[in-house]
Amino acid sequence: MSADTGTAKATSSRFGTFALVFGICFGILYVISDMASLPMFTYHPGPDRIDPGFAPPRRDEGPAMYWYGWIATSALGASMLGLLAAALPEKIRGKIPLALAWITPVALLPVLIYSLKFYWRWE
Amino acid sequence: MDFVLDYISVNTFWTILSTTHALLAVALLGALTHQAAAVLAPPRAGATGGFVTHFRSVSGPRYAAAVCVLWVLVFIFGAWIYTRYRFHVRVLIEQEALFKTLGAFEVKEHIATIGLGLLPVYWHFWKNARNAAYDSARKWLTVVLAAICWYAFLAGHIVNNVRGFGL
Repeated sequence: MSADTGTAKATSSRFGTFALVFGICFGILYVISDMASLPMFTYHPGPDRIDPGFAPPRRDEGPAMYWYGWIATSALGASMLGLLAAALPEKIRGKIPLALAWITPVALLPVLIYSLKFYWRWE
Repeated sequence: MDFVLDYISVNTFWTILSTTHALLAVALLGALTHQAAAVLAPPRAGATGGFVTHFRSVSGPRYAAAVCVLWVLVFIFGAWIYTRYRFHVRVLIEQEALFKTLGAFEVKEHIATIGLGLLPVYWHFWKNARNAAYDSARKWLTVVLAAICWYAFLAGHIVNNVRGFGL
């Protein structure tokens, strides 16, 4: 009984670490993917085609979409970092500040707004 | 999905998707607003107030799973109609030089995505609602997600007002 409870607690703690690190890293990697143009793939909605990595729009094919590729890049990177963090010893896992879960998105907001300066300058 | 277009027009199809996206967003907004009010200003024990007291008296943990499911559903519908937006709506808004409107929508797209990545830890915090160590992080993460949801809802509404239905 106590062994079961202990295992459940450890699993919960490992999942908690994974979820925390995933949430923090997902946002950071998403912003990096956006600003450094690092989508895992590019979707061209006109011809309904997917190209690997970053692909510029082609003439007469309409716009290229990178958003889906940014999500894929950041989800993969955050999953890997989350799994690595979850595998750490409990002593280290317990030192990750929980507050980073909400501080990170708040801190990323001005960076995102700056990255979109093109839209704020023109009228 | 092409068989659907044998029965309804293309515009009707995208309008149904857009409306579903909006209705799910309303449900998500309501759930998150109740939950944020409950963590920011919990009612005093035994309080028998009026509307405001009842508004903030919800049981936060009961909303967590619904918030996660609704966020994912709203996101899926948003990602689906985004292709149509990119091809048929955004170009027209660019031609009208409404760049700040476009920028506001870009911010929505980014923060809603970041919010999606925070759902696992949000769910974990609320699943362990009795763990006092999570209290502060749970409270402020819920408030941040509610703020993201409000911004996304209003930005989406503005873009919809600019271009309207019949994408």
